[in-house]
Amino acid sequence: MKSALRMILLAMAACFVLGAAGGVWRDAAPGYRWSFPADLAAHPDYKTEWWYVTGHLDRPGGETLGFQVTFFRVGLLPPGKQTGRTAWDPRDLVMAHAALTDPDSGRHVFSEVIRRTTPFLGGFGSPGDSMLAWCAAPAGTPGKWTLVHADGVFRVRVRDNAQDLAFTLTCRPTRKPVFHGDGGFSPKTATGDVGSLYFSQTRMEVQGSVRIAGRGTPVTGSAWLDREIFSNTLGSDQKGWDWAALNLDSGEDLMLYRLRGKERHDDFALGTFVDSLGAAAPLPGNAWRLEPLRWWASPHTGARYPVAWKLTVPGRNLTFRLEAVLPDQENVSALTGIHYWEGAVTVAPWENPDRIIGRGFVELTGYGEGSRPPV
Amino acid sequence: MIRLWWRSLARSLRSGRTLFLLAVLGVALGVASVVAIQTLNQGALGAFDGSVRAVSGRADLTVLGLTPAFPETLLVPTLADPAVEAAWGLCRVDAAVDGVEGLLLDMVGVDLLAPVGLPLEATLGAADPGDAQAGILAAMVTPGWVAVTPELAANQGWAVGDAIEVSSGSRTAPLVIGALVDFRTLDPMAPPNLAVMDIAQVQGLLARPGLLHQIDIRLRPGTDTEAAAARLGVALGPGVTVVTPEQRQQDTRSLLAAFRLNLTALSLISVFVGVFLVLSSVQASLTIRRREFGILRCIGATPLQVRALILAEVGVLGLAGIMVGIPLGYAMALANLQTVSGTLTNIYVLDGISNLTLTPGVVLLGAAVGLCGALAGALWPAVEISRRDPLVLLAPVNLHEQVSRIAFRLSAVAALAAIAATAWFAWAGSRTNYGGFIYGGIMMLALPLVVPLVISLTAGSARPRGIGPALCLRNLAVRRQASTLAVSALAVTVSMLVGVTLLVAGFRSTLISWLDVTVRADIYVSSKSWARAGPEATLDSDLLAGLRSWPGVAAVEEQRRMHLYTADRRFRIWLNGIKVADIPGAELATRLPLKKGAPEAVAAGLEHGEILIGEPLAQKARLDIGDTLVLSGPSGPLRYRVAGIAYDYTSEGGTAFVTMPTLQKSFPGEPTSNAALFLEPGADQDDLLRDLRAAYSDRPLVLRSNADLRREVLAIFDQTFAVTGTLRTLALIIACLGVALNLLVQARERAGELGLLRSLGATRRQIFGLFVGEGLGVGILGLGLGLVGGIGLAALLIVFVNRQWFGWTIRPAWAGQDLAQQAVIILLAVVLAAVVPAWKAGQADPLTLTRDDL
Repeated sequence: MKSALRMILLAMAACFVLGAAGGVWRDAAPGYRWSFPADLAAHPDYKTEWWYVTGHLDRPGGETLGFQVTFFRVGLLPPGKQTGRTAWDPRDLVMAHAALTDPDSGRHVFSEVIRRTTPFLGGFGSPGDSMLAWCAAPAGTPGKWTLVHADGVFRVRVRDNAQDLAFTLTCRPTRKPVFHGDGGFSPKTATGDVGSLYFSQTRMEVQGSVRIAGRGTPVTGSAWLDREIFSNTLGSDQKGWDWAALNLDSGEDLMLYRLRGKERHDDFALGTFVDSLGAAAPLPGNAWRLEPLRWWASPHTGARYPVAWKLTVPGRNLTFRLEAVLPDQENVSALTGIHYWEGAVTVAPWENPDRIIGRGFVELTGYGEGSRPPV
Repeated sequence: MIRLWWRSLARSLRSGRTLFLLAVLGVALGVASVVAIQTLNQGALGAFDGSVRAVSGRADLTVLGLTPAFPETLLVPTLADPAVEAAWGLCRVDAAVDGVEGLLLDMVGVDLLAPVGLPLEATLGAADPGDAQAGILAAMVTPGWVAVTPELAANQGWAVGDAIEVSSGSRTAPLVIGALVDFRTLDPMAPPNLAVMDIAQVQGLLARPGLLHQIDIRLRPGTDTEAAAARLGVALGPGVTVVTPEQRQQDTRSLLAAFRLNLTALSLISVFVGVFLVLSSVQASLTIRRREFGILRCIGATPLQVRALILAEVGVLGLAGIMVGIPLGYAMALANLQTVSGTLTNIYVLDGISNLTLTPGVVLLGAAVGLCGALAGALWPAVEISRRDPLVLLAPVNLHEQVSRIAFRLSAVAALAAIAATAWFAWAGSRTNYGGFIYGGIMMLALPLVVPLVISLTAGSARPRGIGPALCLRNLAVRRQASTLAVSALAVTVSMLVGVTLLVAGFRSTLISWLDVTVRADIYVSSKSWARAGPEATLDSDLLAGLRSWPGVAAVEEQRRMHLYTADRRFRIWLNGIKVADIPGAELATRLPLKKGAPEAVAAGLEHGEILIGEPLAQKARLDIGDTLVLSGPSGPLRYRVAGIAYDYTSEGGTAFVTMPTLQKSFPGEPTSNAALFLEPGADQDDLLRDLRAAYSDRPLVLRSNADLRREVLAIFDQTFAVTGTLRTLALIIACLGVALNLLVQARERAGELGLLRSLGATRRQIFGLFVGEGLGVGILGLGLGLVGGIGLAALLIVFVNRQWFGWTIRPAWAGQDLAQQAVIILLAVVLAAVVPAWKAGQADPLTLTRDDL
């Protein structure tokens, strides 16, 4: 359950439009029959989906880097409504975000692209295509941003010369996909009538290179891929969410999200626990707690984000301290005006905060003014 | 001194109110003509600049096609340039609005997600910023969504949600008014017919998939714009050019240079004539007040002080003229807006002028022209009188004797100036851009210098035996200085009138002859949006097939008209691909009157991929048969051997013709722009036209008969020259005011002489007739000299200026009827101008006689 609020904004607006136009998107529903590699490709009959890769990269002689690459597909018109007259026909938007966090320099670099899909500006592959998603690089940079899946391996290529940001990574899954919720249907409300199709590649070995301070550096590391597909949006009483994906050195993985209501802190929450053998089990919202310990005020947007947490999973006898590797991991979109926090965190036992026993990523949306779409 | 000046000014006004008012009017009309023309000129440029700034105001660079459109994939290498911060493609179409005659929307198709900077979001999100986002997406996916200006909506009675139908070529598209967006928040000169849609809709509904007309680029701060443009030019290939907004504006200025220059030159003639009026008025005023200046000098005033006093008075006169002239000029500009706007649209395929603004620059120019003109007119008389001995000023000496003495000298100067100018023009001037105008200007300046001699030769020999025509002539000769000014003003004006009349008549008759040869088809088919010949105003193939198979139609000629640059980018020409009708006599080489080349050789050349070029292009690009014309093509230079040169009057920019297969070779798939139908023998043109109109009433077509087309071409021609009519009238009014002024002065100055005549038995009627006769004499002399000057001016305009600036061959035509009409009007105007002074002269009282008069 990740995204930038802008995407939700667009999606919601598109919903409004399509409602008016009488278009029909397919709703995510329980009982979806997953099929691979077809389900890695785009699902044009659903309105929104994304490919979300986050991870940690080790480099020679430096601190571990955090990275994020996300491709969003936002449907504008369902296939039956598209005219097919020109390449510019409003089918989908492709929105891509990339970020790199370097604790050594204290830099968090963010880059973004938003385009409508055309054969020359960006698009998404169909089942059978190795190209899952792509878009022309940001203005000022030649080439494309790509996410390719071939031979069981994901390849990510991102470059933004103006931001001095580039990475080329190969991500090889070491586990089977993990399906969240009920067989991959992840509800977003207590009644379960709204949700998404959601699975993750929770562990992937990464190799590649990253450009830091104008120089290419070889890297290795681990990454997490989220695939989420849906047609509905946040409820009007929801203002954002907190999400976390954690890999523990013990081989266990945790995915946790909670939707925050305007009135209540937890509107709806859910999680998934993956044991060291890769077996997944749902974690109901009442089976875990994520408590902010420390806050950071963004000098860029004024938003206050938690940057340290106490995570408790009583049923599993787990209590951790999550700590952001850098407080300023806020992504501020110049193209859309939205902002959210997407950052690498370390996981330590609550009783011994200096001992790192895992790494992860946390996403925080809906913090601060203007980060929540008006509904 | 200042108190003295105020008193002097007040006295001057009291003693010569009419003189002052006439001089003010002269200055005012001169200023008005300059202000009117410059306002229209600026309006013409402003319409284009406003459109550029409203659509591309945030762009540092713009990619434009050297061909009418270019592949949209060029957006990718554009975005890849390191200096580019943002870039977005535009698809631009002129769309005719169904049911509104003559209304073309300047349709801008843009990726609404791109950071274009149009005020769409501000409009859509006026109530809530979140609405803007939803509104943009709605605009993208709602079929036919279009944003128009509030001004246009108000004019047409449109509201948000209303449905309209527009057409581009033979395609129609239903649109819905989605928002009212005021583009004037971006630029006050933004055209009211600007309309914005999502690029997908414009391209899909009204243009051609895969093609853009423009890419706008915003550069990163601190970027070297020229270096970025050069780099992008290389990266994007030979089919496009990368220009700054300033370069685009400069291109339009170049395009309109000849048009603007000609109007400016005509307006300056009004100023020139106005200067004579001031000169005449000041001269008269000083003559009346010579005793006053004599006394001033006697009590110690220096010549410099007298000069300053006079010039300061004239300054007030100039200021009064300016205050009247500037609003008058603006009103004249408004009155001519439609015709000039029509010329811009029809001839230069630019935006019509939607609104006129009186800019501070034009106000300053008008003020400078008025003040300088007034001072220039007063300078010589002021210097002359300030130099005089005070005793001479106090004596009743007739200042007009001065001119008599120097008449021959002035004529000699004029002759020398004319000879020197002619020699210069023949040697070097004719090769310079403005040589013709400078030469014409010198000759117009020389013309007044010969006037004293002409008056001496024609009127000086008159031997009056009583009050009759001979006395009128004799009076002109005796009062040569005053007569010279009036005759000169009239002669210069008539020169302009005759020159322009002969030019227009010659041009019109040449055009009619050319139309006789070229416009041979029976029915012409184009689309409503063809008015500006946009590349998307094309005819569908199913329509053409229907026309071909229509009963009674023997053959169909098809034309594709494209605006292309030459490879060196010096010229932008119209390339016409013609698919000639398969009937005898329709061949291109015989259809276009050839200036150079044998019809058979040209026909063979065209069949082999050669090109037939129009005379203006041959002239400007200095091309001859056998030379190579290199045009910019979509993927590189296109080389065409010139097979022949044809007379052509369709565009001053340049025109060329190839066969349709030759065009299609370089521009595959280019659709037909318009068609011409040749009917079978015996087919009734009117019936067929009526049937076709009925059958295609649901298509946005314009079907014209041969006669209709000719009529419209000539109407456009007449519209183009209509503005010169205003200028000619203005100059004529100023000249007639000069005659009236001259006679008024004389009526006052010659009060003693008239009193003597009355005491010797002359009746009031005889005195009245004497003055009218003198006015007529001025008119006839001015007319005669003006005719000579006008013929010379016409020759210069036709043979040189027109060739150089427009490249057209114009066969001279003697517009006898027009000239006779104008002569009668001028003489009547002069006589009318003489009526009031003559009446005043008739009131002369014999009791006013003084000893000096006797």
